[in-house]
Amino acid sequence: MSEHTTTGMVTVTIDDVTASVPKGTLVIEAARQLGVMIPHFCYHPKLAPDANCRMCLVEIEKMPRLQTSCSTQVTEGMVVRSSVPTVKQARKSVLDFILANHPLDCPVCDQGGRCDLQDFSHEYTASGTKFVELKRVFQKEYFSPVIETQMNRCVQCLRCVRYCDEVMDVRALAPAGRGTLTKIKSFGVHELDCEFCGGCVQICPVGAITSRLSMYEFRPWMLKRTESTCGYCGDGCQMTFQAKDNDLIEVNSTLGVGRNNGDLCSRGYFGYHANVHEDRLQSPMIRCDGELVEVPWEEALAVVAEKLTAIKSANGADAIGGLIASRCTNEDLYLFQKFMRVVIGTNQLDSSARYGHMNGIHALQRVQGTHRWSMSFDDLLSANAILTVGTNLTETNPITALKVKEAVKRRGAELITVEALEPAIGTISNIALLSTHHLPLAPDQFASGTIGLLKAVIQENLVDAELVAHAKDYIDAIKKQVDAISWTDIEARTGLTAEIFQDSAKVFTRAERAVILVGQGVLRSQGGYGMTLNLMDLLVLTGKLNRIGCGLAPLAEENNDQGSVEMGAVSELLPGGKDCRSREAQQSLEAAWGCSLPSGEEGTLMDMLGKAKRGILKAMIIVGENPIGSLPPDSGIEDAIGKLEFLVCQELFLTDTAKRADVIFPACSYAEKDGTFTSTEGHTQAVRKAIEPLGESRPDWEILSALSVMMDHPLEYESVKAIGKEMRDLMPGTRTLGPSPLPPRPCLDTLTQYLQEGYQDTLATRYCLPGMKATHTFVLNVGQSIFHSGKFSTRAKGLIQIQSQGVLSMHPEDAERLGLACGDGVCLENQLGQVKTTVKLSDRIPCGVLFFPEHFDQDIQRLFAVSVDNDTHVPYFKCAHVEVSKAS
Amino acid sequence: MIFDKLKDEVNELLSRYPVKRSALLPLLYIAQREEGYVSEPAMKEIAKLLSLTPSQVYETVTFYSMYNLKPIGKFHVQVCRSLMCALVGSDNIVEWIQKNLNISSGQTTADRTFTLSVVECLGSCGTGPMMQVNDDYYERLTEEKVGQIFDDLKQKGSSSLKSGPFMFPQPTKS
Ligand code: SF4
Ligand code: SF4
Ligand code: SF4
Ligand code: FES
Ligand code: FES
Repeated sequence: MSEHTTTGMVTVTIDDVTASVPKGTLVIEAARQLGVMIPHFCYHPKLAPDANCRMCLVEIEKMPRLQTSCSTQVTEGMVVRSSVPTVKQARKSVLDFILANHPLDCPVCDQGGRCDLQDFSHEYTASGTKFVELKRVFQKEYFSPVIETQMNRCVQCLRCVRYCDEVMDVRALAPAGRGTLTKIKSFGVHELDCEFCGGCVQICPVGAITSRLSMYEFRPWMLKRTESTCGYCGDGCQMTFQAKDNDLIEVNSTLGVGRNNGDLCSRGYFGYHANVHEDRLQSPMIRCDGELVEVPWEEALAVVAEKLTAIKSANGADAIGGLIASRCTNEDLYLFQKFMRVVIGTNQLDSSARYGHMNGIHALQRVQGTHRWSMSFDDLLSANAILTVGTNLTETNPITALKVKEAVKRRGAELITVEALEPAIGTISNIALLSTHHLPLAPDQFASGTIGLLKAVIQENLVDAELVAHAKDYIDAIKKQVDAISWTDIEARTGLTAEIFQDSAKVFTRAERAVILVGQGVLRSQGGYGMTLNLMDLLVLTGKLNRIGCGLAPLAEENNDQGSVEMGAVSELLPGGKDCRSREAQQSLEAAWGCSLPSGEEGTLMDMLGKAKRGILKAMIIVGENPIGSLPPDSGIEDAIGKLEFLVCQELFLTDTAKRADVIFPACSYAEKDGTFTSTEGHTQAVRKAIEPLGESRPDWEILSALSVMMDHPLEYESVKAIGKEMRDLMPGTRTLGPSPLPPRPCLDTLTQYLQEGYQDTLATRYCLPGMKATHTFVLNVGQSIFHSGKFSTRAKGLIQIQSQGVLSMHPEDAERLGLACGDGVCLENQLGQVKTTVKLSDRIPCGVLFFPEHFDQDIQRLFAVSVDNDTHVPYFKCAHVEVSKAS
Repeated sequence: MIFDKLKDEVNELLSRYPVKRSALLPLLYIAQREEGYVSEPAMKEIAKLLSLTPSQVYETVTFYSMYNLKPIGKFHVQVCRSLMCALVGSDNIVEWIQKNLNISSGQTTADRTFTLSVVECLGSCGTGPMMQVNDDYYERLTEEKVGQIFDDLKQKGSSSLKSGPFMFPQPTKS
């Protein structure tokens, strides 16, 4: 238990071994440290002691009766005995009671072979129970599409219920009834509706809660374990693939491993089938007479090599562009940018980190000169104040959300939430319920909210004294900006009064350790870069930027957004996050690579599309990214792709973009290759091959390497490890072994430069309140759902069973005003068009806001206009204003 | 929404506890008083009032046998079957009721007049066999007496055979 006091140590003797352990340690934990395993059901290191199962009884000298070791703390000189006859007899009796009711259906139980009850029974009661009464029999009840319960097996330890409450804060499980007849249910006869994190399945010591996705498909000893990293979001959970006959059977996570420390979210736990979906492309294809036909690898590679070489010699290297998904491994990303820069010879390249993550990176680089967080995941736990802005944390970065929950619930951190959320209880957890200061704002109000906080800092004299001494101009410049904005105007934009901003600002400033989490709601919304800079100003002004344990953390949506930045798979950055225009960076890279770097201008995603439309960009290599699916029609993406003379896609599936390709290379999923991903905090972690590639599919790096050979610029590596070595030599911070690298400290030169003049540029535009929306319109926001990630996860059968389509969430009061009921058809309309969809009522959504999951946004995208950030070239298209009416 | 019309009562209740959740049992009691049982909409409403999830309210309801999760008859007949009453023949009483009302424990008569529950000790052990019908106790039961009680209830809605009302401390007879 982390909150135990660690002041001082005490000496304890357990089964004749004496050692000293921190005061406050539970006896069961002390025993574990001394190598004594005390059997237990209800105890779990993640949960508060409940002492309900009595399995962990031990004898403690000077104490009457046997004691529960899971709830007793060690004291000085304590002598504990866990293997004396009385203790063994007690264990046997506890098992007698459990086995009196347990069905002993181990042969058909998925837990069989890794079950605590099996193991303890084997050890203590080989002869079974002495009770002869009839066993309790529960009728089988349907529980949920992905989670199965078999209550006859339940030992009533309540770990599942407590996990769902204490760790997840979802509170979906109910122990219904009393005594032996207690069974785990949700709400009455209703099926379970929750976050589907799978935690209850994983924490159940027996086979009473199991996954339906793998039900009856395996015996544990048939499974091949592969430790890997989740490929969905930037939290970078460590997990284990369990495979049988080259098929993925299940995923688990392990206590003590990774930042997730045994926890996962629904995508990680139930989403693995996307990798092996039956629609996977399994052989290369080229377009012949308008049709895509399967051809051998050699032929497809030859066609591409020849065509790209021809285009390059006819139109120059800058007529070719490349785009890669941040889902790829670092090795893929690294080789991709090297291929584009060296083999093709262009800077026209980008990755899906451009959709938002680049805003965070540029803000960090500009103010503190790093391209990584200057804080770590652990700093979240030890923070005294956490400010989240536009994160929708539970849904986008569920494990980061767990850290915030722990910081607040267990460690008493103050939480300030600037989120498009109402603090309402629902089927998934809601951080707004935990916050001490909640500022419910719509995505188009985050900018005004941020300015409100800054104004409060200035006005309430919360500016750091040291900063006042040496950055007077900077402070005055900001003061001038915020003074020009009145509280009345802020209130008109946000509906919030000065007090809440002032209170929040005070809490934030007062905190010894304060962190800011910045989410997609900021990074992907209009003005995202400016807003992030303003939040950096908040850190600077309150004197926290350079303080240990403080920092600003942009949250990556895709698993390897951070990796694509660090690998240089974005136009303006070379590997290591170096500025591609810096001569020094160029020279050192040229020396390492032994060739010269392209001198042409950079081309980000939107630049490339513009050039394609104008016929300047002739060919594109698109690796795993689906811009036609991601960008709304307003971006002119169809036109741009259509104008290309030649399009090559490396893909798992025939996406909307791949359908337009001239050549498609079948790539394999991350479950089929080795490599690394870099989590949102900059931690590089291993991805390992769990199954052989399906069909003829190959890792992305291998395809690019093969192509380079055929284009006479061989980038040959004997294995993915060799790429890894090259990467690590260039960038020591991407090592996977050993302790995780410490977060970088802010670069003081950069900060000084920012405080002197760096801040001036864009100051006026970012310290200005956005216009107000017409009152009769709604803010329509597309964003991430907790059950999906991009469009990839919609191929995961488990996740589709949980959420199979997009519906529009609306606050009940808005619905009532419009005469709408749950399930009604609605019509959304603005100047760009009209879309029909179905409405769902949700009191999490603030009035005046509509939310639609981006994973199913094919139709609704029509309503979104695209604008491009002047500084970071990030395209903004997640927010629109619409009118709503009941569909006739 | 059953609590809409009971705002004052609810507010008064909530004001009694430092922790909102503590008002759960009394609110459930009110819900049952109003509807005869604790309905799902009522559980959801209570969950909202107390910042709990419906599951958390539900688990509490299932823990206590005094809360009904299903609609019950006009008269809820709860017969004690614990040791003291059993020694003086509570099983005969239960059997008689089952036969005469044609329902078993946990069921309600077709005309929705009576619901029978067999329960544990109701604290009236010295005067068993006994039963509780809605809020009233009936003690030292015999089959005839139960028949009479049921007739009274059907006809008049109450029976003079009930014990009490008791007041504490007992008024001294002068
Ligand atoms: S899967 Fe659902 S019920 Fe189980 S712990 Fe997670 S949120 Fe709770
Ligand atoms: S379902 Fe499993 S975890 Fe939950 S109470 Fe039963 S045995 Fe314990
Ligand atoms: S999607 Fe993110 S939070 Fe969920 S398991 Fe994967 S890495 Fe972890
Ligand atoms: S593990 Fe200690 S009582 Fe259950
Ligand atoms: S045993 Fe029946 S009332 Fe106590």
